[in-house]
Amino acid sequence: MTRAEAFSDREVAMCAVAKIVEDGRTYWAAGGGTPLYSILLGKRLYAPELQYVTEDGVIAPEPLLPYEPMMTMVASRATRRALSWGTMNSAGIHAQLGYMDYGVLNTLQVDQHGNINSTIIGDYGPNTRRFGGPGGADTIAACCWRTILITDQEKRKFVRQVDFISSPGYLDGTAGARERAGLPKDTGPWRVVTPWAMYDFHERRLRLIGRMPWVTVEEILAECEWKPLIADEVAVLEAPTEEEVLLLRTELDVRGQTTDAAGAWITWDGEKYVRAG
Amino acid sequence: MTLATSPAGSVEIIAAGQGKFHPVDPDGFRAYIRDHKSRALKSKLMTEKEAVERFVADGDYLSYECNYLMRGPNAVIHEVIRQRKKDLWLAGKFTYVDICLLVGAGCASKVDCGFFLSPKPVLRAIAEGKLEVFEYSNVIMTLRLQAGAMGVPFLPVRSFGGTHGFDYSGARLIRDPYTGVPITIVPALNPDVALIHVHQADIYGNARVFGTGISDVESALASKKVIISAEEIIDTEEIRSNPGLTRIPYYAVDAVVEAPFGSYPGTVPGYYASNPEGVFEIFRATGGDAVEPYIEKYVDSVENHLDMLDKRVGVKKLLDMKQREVIREGYHA
Repeated sequence: MTRAEAFSDREVAMCAVAKIVEDGRTYWAAGGGTPLYSILLGKRLYAPELQYVTEDGVIAPEPLLPYEPMMTMVASRATRRALSWGTMNSAGIHAQLGYMDYGVLNTLQVDQHGNINSTIIGDYGPNTRRFGGPGGADTIAACCWRTILITDQEKRKFVRQVDFISSPGYLDGTAGARERAGLPKDTGPWRVVTPWAMYDFHERRLRLIGRMPWVTVEEILAECEWKPLIADEVAVLEAPTEEEVLLLRTELDVRGQTTDAAGAWITWDGEKYVRAG
Repeated sequence: MTLATSPAGSVEIIAAGQGKFHPVDPDGFRAYIRDHKSRALKSKLMTEKEAVERFVADGDYLSYECNYLMRGPNAVIHEVIRQRKKDLWLAGKFTYVDICLLVGAGCASKVDCGFFLSPKPVLRAIAEGKLEVFEYSNVIMTLRLQAGAMGVPFLPVRSFGGTHGFDYSGARLIRDPYTGVPITIVPALNPDVALIHVHQADIYGNARVFGTGISDVESALASKKVIISAEEIIDTEEIRSNPGLTRIPYYAVDAVVEAPFGSYPGTVPGYYASNPEGVFEIFRATGGDAVEPYIEKYVDSVENHLDMLDKRVGVKKLLDMKQREVIREGYHA
């Protein structure tokens, strides 16, 4: 593996997810974009026997890359050479049955208990700014054994309580809260990944466990409106490799729609990483 | 009859969402099927104009399959807009721009949310009280259709509990009478009308869909009225030669519309790729608050779908879309 010399915040998050995927497991990607690219990156470089499923019930396709703009589901290039073509209900039902090991999804906001908001910002009502809604993420977060959340490291995104629970984390954080709400046992958010940091959950509370080499724990905490728990040892995470960013840029996100969407650039100056902006 | 005992005794409702939901009435639905759906093999071939005039009414709950970019019934959606149907309640699942288009045209007053984009025309309609939104998720919407397609009033589901969407929906949390464990139930969805674009259909409505989809079969069976638009009308002999390919049986279908390139600017997998220029155009129109000029260009200033293809798209672009669809495996084209 070669160190990448320059990459964007958004690329960091996808490369970080790619490094934690588990071989031989099933992954359900929420929509296209970051979750799907992270999974494909992990499968190509680290976990060849990982299989993934998309919201339209496609099982283990061999997509013809790159995708055409927006065409990450239903379209023939996205669903090519799958083992099975299904429907949204087949994907949802397979998850209800327990076949989906991991779910990967994006969230606008995440709170101390890993609840996921992709619906609104502010108070719910007629004048609220609306976003897309849960899409498939509600079923992913409810039924996959483990869920990986991707978001940006920004103060307004790490809050005590999300404005709206679109998809369930550990709800109020008490033991058994998910089961009391009718959700399957032994499920829930497992990791939260940002361009700066990685979190797990300790007794259903968000805990900082890793940081990128170019940020300090203090800098990360400054970008959390609600402070997470902090692990005894916060690991220094591996920065993106040349192989990862090459694959992202030349095959997965060739138009830069996902990777260039947000954040600053990080460069290696020969001795250390420098984040501009 | 002996009374069975369950661990929980009688069924207890633990929590109930406060959202309005399309009325659940399985026996009413059965009676509608008995009285209004023909079992005869008779041709249902008609223009999109006639299909929408006859089978889409103001105030209907309308479900369309896939979306504007991916095998969407765009030719028929355009006709719904052209006829300015009013007060529709939309199933907003797995969709990006269609809701904005229909809301911007003044056709819809309610939407159940699974996933759709909310640019300015949608936000404005909500703020002005012209559009009510009820909250679900993609799979919850397709499972509601599944319940509707099974003829049962509700379905237990393993997701949705604990969310705020639950509070603004028609869902209930009950204690399962068999295990005593809490379980979410969602109301069956039986739309008044479904719009489904397929690869092939015969004149009776036997329809083939190749590739993946969202809930084509569920929508077709759950809906009172079903409009199929098809890339190709095929002979019934061809249907009979490979019955396993029939996804939707004729008796569920009320209208068959021949609509080649019926998903323009989107893709029909195996037949043609999307037209990226057209895809950007609809995103610009909805995202940039310019729905009206888009509708003028693609709907109001043309007579019908074929006229639109002729005047606004042209043979060159259509052939290019066909050529760029390089994958044939699995599409029986």
